[in-house]
Amino acid sequence: MKAKKGKVSVMTGNYAAANAARLCRPEVVSAYPITPQSEVAEQISAYVANGELDAEIVEVEGENSAMNVVCAASLAGARVFTATSSYGLVFMYDTLLQTAGYRAPVVMVNVNREPPGIQAVSGGQQDLISTRDSGWVQVIVENNQEIIDQIIMAYRLAEDHDIQLPVMVNYDGYYLSYLAESVEMPLIEDVDAFLAPLKSQPPRPRIIPGAATGCGTHGMEMGYVEARYKHWSALERAREKVDDIDRLFGEYFGRSYGGQIEEYRTDGADIIIVTSGSAAGTTRTVVDAKRNEGVRVGMVKIRLFRPFPEDRLTEVLKGRKAIGVVDRSLCFGWKCGPMCMEIKALTPDIGRMPILSYIDGLANLDITVPHITRVVDEVNGAAQGKPFQEVTWIPMEE
Amino acid sequence: MVEATKKRNRVFDYYCEEDQFSGGVAWCAGCPLELTARTIPKVLGKNMVFVGTPSCAAPVLHGQNMGAWHYLSYLACVMTGVASSATGLSRYFRRTGQDATVVCFTGDGCATDIGFQPLSGAAERAEHIIYITYDNEGYMNTGNQRSSATPRGAHTSTTPVGKVGRGKPTQSKNMPMVMLMHRPRYLATATLSHPEDFAKKLLKAKEMAREGFVYIHVFSPCPVGWRIDSNNVIEVCRAAVRTNYFPLWEAENGQPRLTLEVANPRPIAEFTRLMRKFSHLKEDDLAEMQRILDERFALLKTLCGASK
Repeated sequence: MKAKKGKVSVMTGNYAAANAARLCRPEVVSAYPITPQSEVAEQISAYVANGELDAEIVEVEGENSAMNVVCAASLAGARVFTATSSYGLVFMYDTLLQTAGYRAPVVMVNVNREPPGIQAVSGGQQDLISTRDSGWVQVIVENNQEIIDQIIMAYRLAEDHDIQLPVMVNYDGYYLSYLAESVEMPLIEDVDAFLAPLKSQPPRPRIIPGAATGCGTHGMEMGYVEARYKHWSALERAREKVDDIDRLFGEYFGRSYGGQIEEYRTDGADIIIVTSGSAAGTTRTVVDAKRNEGVRVGMVKIRLFRPFPEDRLTEVLKGRKAIGVVDRSLCFGWKCGPMCMEIKALTPDIGRMPILSYIDGLANLDITVPHITRVVDEVNGAAQGKPFQEVTWIPMEE
Repeated sequence: MVEATKKRNRVFDYYCEEDQFSGGVAWCAGCPLELTARTIPKVLGKNMVFVGTPSCAAPVLHGQNMGAWHYLSYLACVMTGVASSATGLSRYFRRTGQDATVVCFTGDGCATDIGFQPLSGAAERAEHIIYITYDNEGYMNTGNQRSSATPRGAHTSTTPVGKVGRGKPTQSKNMPMVMLMHRPRYLATATLSHPEDFAKKLLKAKEMAREGFVYIHVFSPCPVGWRIDSNNVIEVCRAAVRTNYFPLWEAENGQPRLTLEVANPRPIAEFTRLMRKFSHLKEDDLAEMQRILDERFALLKTLCGASK
């Protein structure tokens, strides 16, 4: 069985996200406006107003409430959706942790933007990084088509009986939220078919009025430890499940993304550039150009940030000569970017080699072809034994 | 439903369900919270969901001691998420045709301070939920710190009385009045010295929550924090009513009316003398307390008159 060809049209990342959510038929949706996410909430309200989506819409007075609404509705058994960004994400932080702890399969779009710090209305992945240990599954996508496809896959993952975890789909604010691209929109009946296997699973526990069901204890001692162990284990299982769902999605819809990570021209590569999100497009262009020059370079795009794709990364990075990691965020109190830190943590498995950290693309500064070209040149030099700088803030050196 | 008879109804006449709590629950001796919590499902019926948060109610509702718990459906929330979580539940239950009363049950700290934003939002959206505040005038579960429901002059652990400190310097948020201005479908105040009044209002709340938002404010003295003998708490409730410190009233669609008119209101000192949290107050402090009380009661009476 294959899905029919969907309608091809041009739309922004935000419209793509709202559209994809509509196709998954959420029953309760709640969101609060925030730049650059607001269009997602507006568009879903429009679908409901136009009768294109039958959902309860709760227009709340803050993101903390949005997350509580969808968390509770999810615990009662609903399929839910919400969207946020930056300040909104950190304003819902307490319930973000609770939603994961309660294993509520919430699907949320997070349109990446610099979070509070020195007040920035601009792109960056710092919001995602700031919620790294929230216990959510966190996926980062690269373009508008991937936004659509990943939201559909996110429901299949979140509501999977073996997983039952909230999933955060991240895409770059400004770069994708407002970028209009040509996308193929799957047909709703095909999305129904792709999500149908969820219906034949055992029902998940839910809050039932009149029955002694519920969520929350004082979490003392072993009860707490057991629940945390199960949560931790579910995240461990999610890695393989992400690969499986990506494969199934590819078989049915004809598009797949590599699951936990996407590899690009890694065969025979001496050096690997690791990045994520919309910067991957630029990196691919540079890799092609450098390959033409004879530089043996490949790219790895991290799609799954939590759980971290340790095994898949080890497999692809082991035995290379040097690695460059481009981060669109900071790791305060550690002398490299956050994803670079994670890659360095793989050293016992991949062996010692130069791992160069690059900070770029903060606050809507473009990660450009010359920037990535420089990264490739320096990493290539390091691979050949030349001295290198461990951490480079690219915009500060321009 | 209760038959309309000339005979005055007793509180038991409003019960439709067995006690949903086991014996030996972990609430403080003499605390009216326990009786309040037991009364709610007895009147509303078992088909309800309690939505709670870390608070005095939490040790029992969350289940700190699973050997002495309850049989109810329950959701434990963060303090900033009670009314919003109740919204999520209620929307989905209604959508899927599940008959349920969703009842938020929090202290005054959650209702008037940290959880006020979602409470106000849920009232504005006319969500079909009942929000019950048990008001013990401070953060009693964490050790008697002041909240915005703490009255002027009260000794708390964060407004202590000392060489300089004279207790809380500002008056409390008039929470029932704040909620009245949201024009909920139904609003009521209650306290356990008048259990029939409370039960009657709960029954009304259940009906009204089918149509919109319901807010109930229960005056709930804390024997530990207020320093009241544990056998004297109901007397404190009664004194609060008799002094008009805590008038009993209700409002349908924003139209208030007193459910108990006190014939000869007693001076505030007859209330304050029953506990030690006010024992440092001087004559002028009591006069100021009386003035605040009179001002609030006059406002309530005016609004009651306006709605006739």
